[in-house]
Amino acid sequence: MDLLVQSIVNGFIQSGFFALYAVGLVLIFGVMGVVNFAHGELVMVGAYTVWFLHAQHGVPFLWTILIAIVIVTAIGMAMERFLFRPKRNDPLGGLICSIGVLFILQIAATLIGGDGPSKQVPPPYQGTFVLFESLRIPVQRVFSIAVSLAALVALWLFLTRSKMGWALRAVAQDREASSLQGINTNRISMIAISIGAAMAGLAGALTAPLTNINPHMGHNIIITAFIVTIVGGVGSLSGAVLAAVLYALFHTMVTTYFSATIATISGLLIMVLVLIIKPTGIMGRSVSD
Amino acid sequence: MPKKYTNCAGLAGLLAALVIVPHFLKYHHQDFLIFLTINVLVVSSYRLVTLTGEWSLIHAVMMGVGAYASTLLTKSAGLSFWISLPLAGCVAGAVAAILCFPLFRMTQFYFLIGSFAAGEAIRLCWIHFIQPFGGTGGISGIPFPELGNIDFLEPVPYFYLVLVIVTLCLVLLYRIEKSRIGLTLRAVHWKAPLAESVGVDTWKYRSLAFIIGSAFVGIAGSLKVHYLGTVTPNQYGIGFMVFILIWVIVGGYATFYGAIIGVVVLSILDESFRGFEELRPAIYGLILIASILFLPSGLESVPERIRGWVSNRAAARNGPGIQG
Amino acid sequence: MDLLEIRQVTKVFGGLTALNEVSFHVKSGNIHGLIGPNGAGKSTMFKNISGFSTPTSGDIFFNGHSIKGRKPSEIAHLGVARTFQETTLFQELTVLENALVGAHKRAKTNIFSAIFNLDRHIQQECMEKTLSMLDFMGLAERKNQLASELPLGSQRALAITIALASEPVVLLMDEPFAGMNPEETRHMMGLTEKVRQSGVTIVLVEHDMKAVMGICDYLTVLNFGSLLAEGTPDAIRHDAKVIRAYLGNTEAM
Repeated sequence: MDLLVQSIVNGFIQSGFFALYAVGLVLIFGVMGVVNFAHGELVMVGAYTVWFLHAQHGVPFLWTILIAIVIVTAIGMAMERFLFRPKRNDPLGGLICSIGVLFILQIAATLIGGDGPSKQVPPPYQGTFVLFESLRIPVQRVFSIAVSLAALVALWLFLTRSKMGWALRAVAQDREASSLQGINTNRISMIAISIGAAMAGLAGALTAPLTNINPHMGHNIIITAFIVTIVGGVGSLSGAVLAAVLYALFHTMVTTYFSATIATISGLLIMVLVLIIKPTGIMGRSVSD
Repeated sequence: MPKKYTNCAGLAGLLAALVIVPHFLKYHHQDFLIFLTINVLVVSSYRLVTLTGEWSLIHAVMMGVGAYASTLLTKSAGLSFWISLPLAGCVAGAVAAILCFPLFRMTQFYFLIGSFAAGEAIRLCWIHFIQPFGGTGGISGIPFPELGNIDFLEPVPYFYLVLVIVTLCLVLLYRIEKSRIGLTLRAVHWKAPLAESVGVDTWKYRSLAFIIGSAFVGIAGSLKVHYLGTVTPNQYGIGFMVFILIWVIVGGYATFYGAIIGVVVLSILDESFRGFEELRPAIYGLILIASILFLPSGLESVPERIRGWVSNRAAARNGPGIQG
Repeated sequence: MDLLEIRQVTKVFGGLTALNEVSFHVKSGNIHGLIGPNGAGKSTMFKNISGFSTPTSGDIFFNGHSIKGRKPSEIAHLGVARTFQETTLFQELTVLENALVGAHKRAKTNIFSAIFNLDRHIQQECMEKTLSMLDFMGLAERKNQLASELPLGSQRALAITIALASEPVVLLMDEPFAGMNPEETRHMMGLTEKVRQSGVTIVLVEHDMKAVMGICDYLTVLNFGSLLAEGTPDAIRHDAKVIRAYLGNTEAM
């Protein structure tokens, strides 16, 4: 029973990260039509930034979070400007370019961090909340879920309350119709990838003290992001967040009671099932013929 | 007709060169040649899958299916290599046939992601089910082929074996592509509804291309493990899949030989980067991006481009002369 | 004899009734026109006959057998071919290759025949038939050009060639005269007549009233998804309901 409660709590904390990964991927795919295969590597760069500046050089943790966001956003913007924009009408070309970026970022991380064992960042916030005898949550995890939630709420406010957010959603829902209505696709794409990359950078920075950091950590992240995106419904941000919560709970449970590999295999199978039965995902609109 | 004869002569010359060359190479270059020849089969079989316009991300895993099948058939079931080689192809084809039911209900982006997910699920099964797949460490001690008193531990005899089988497979793949089936696959690619309207069952043809392509890459997988002697899940992951994509895209996919040019040129380039081992993936990444941006039709279009450039130059030089 | 029978076909999507209990018959050897104002449900009807869409209720019979719910490729095998709106061709293939794909029903092959060339005579025969078909449609000289390089009139002719190469009993033509100048239209009308004379029954959806009246033996008029009128072109021309539907209101008369 205690184990169950503990894993539910862990699942909820995990869902914050999953949502941050997926929201970025959904925004980039929805607005630009590009599958960003390097998305996991953007998260990895965020984590490496914190490791390098905070754990190696003693820069305060909060500052490194900001720097991580700035660096990853800059990488995302460069990808949009120099790769995705020239390949706007060639989704396959865009995808292949993102794979090229994936390689380059992995090698960059290897060059900075060396090839050795995975890096660890000592948690800047020590201590645990003891809710009751059997349920303890490290402060570091509480901090990360709080910041993730704040970021998601901020994104939600931006998308629903601002004019720019409205335009973003319009493009995500129907790219062709919006460009016909005179919305500047280049500008919107730049904003979409900036937000998506910023979320990835934030996720990477927050996850750094809680995980093993290595150049290949992006692989599991992109798989998670794909599962969450597809199950939630491609192009649906609220679907992605809901799916992130559900999948995080599911993944944590299965990991606790079986193994992480089984959890990922079943996640992938669920995703294939969703693709077959309802390709629009749990929150997607159904498309009539 | 004469062009056909020059092509045949060229191919015969190339084969003859491939028979002689290994004797003059160092040991590790002989190794390189074996893997390159196997990879030629990998990209050519992938080409068949992409003829219908669907880019799958499961081809590397299918090669792994063939590799694991061949490993288990020889090592656990005790079959001879000569039987397990074609069987490896059959197993990969059969797995592909089962996957057709879910996968080909999707197209384009969804197919891409769906095939990635299915492949990753298979690969995680190899990691998870230590019996019989050996987990992350895989399986080693895979027997070499036996035939009379030829020593297939040596690279040169093994290279000849690979050369014969790959050449045979390429001939078959080429004939399929140039046959009516190839034409129908291309028709499915360019306008699936129109093909449907004249009686083409597009689902069946997409599946057919996928199954045949997988069967051939399964054979490639078998050839690879019986030389390497080991098989691990990571050899056939998304990393290798990306290399397949790069070879095909950099080579070009308008013609049969485009992908082959891609794998040969890039592998030779790659071999010459051996000094900067750890930078190799990044260099590959840069080549990939550069070729997508600046050479979207691939290396196969280079001769045409040069021809166009030369004739433009000639025209520029002659132009004023004619007028004057 | 009724070759094609549409019986009480209804198609609803997204709460919208695109076809409402429409019934009509197509006689063998006729050129049958399916006309009506925009949004009348003509194209939806075509999609339902050719299998690209399935009726919500009702049934469609071809040669006395129900074809409702079959896949397009199966319906094509039974002998119903169609052309598409605009010019739908295999743009990246040559004219000859386009027509050869059309001959799929006769010439399709299995993997072993393909590799070992076992059905040489069938492929040879198919090639000859296709070449004579291109000749018949006036495309023989352009056979090695890419389909995308053809002028509009020839593209339409090629679209019909692809459909004809499947040796259909019924040919459904979706707006064959759209976007054509009078001369091209006349040429296309000639071709259509020629196809009918070769023994193929034709159903066509068309906006060009002059062409429709000039070429069809029988007309079915749809309006807002329902059957409005049926009859010979002469009868339809003088039908008050049809005139009203086309002009929007009676005062305009």
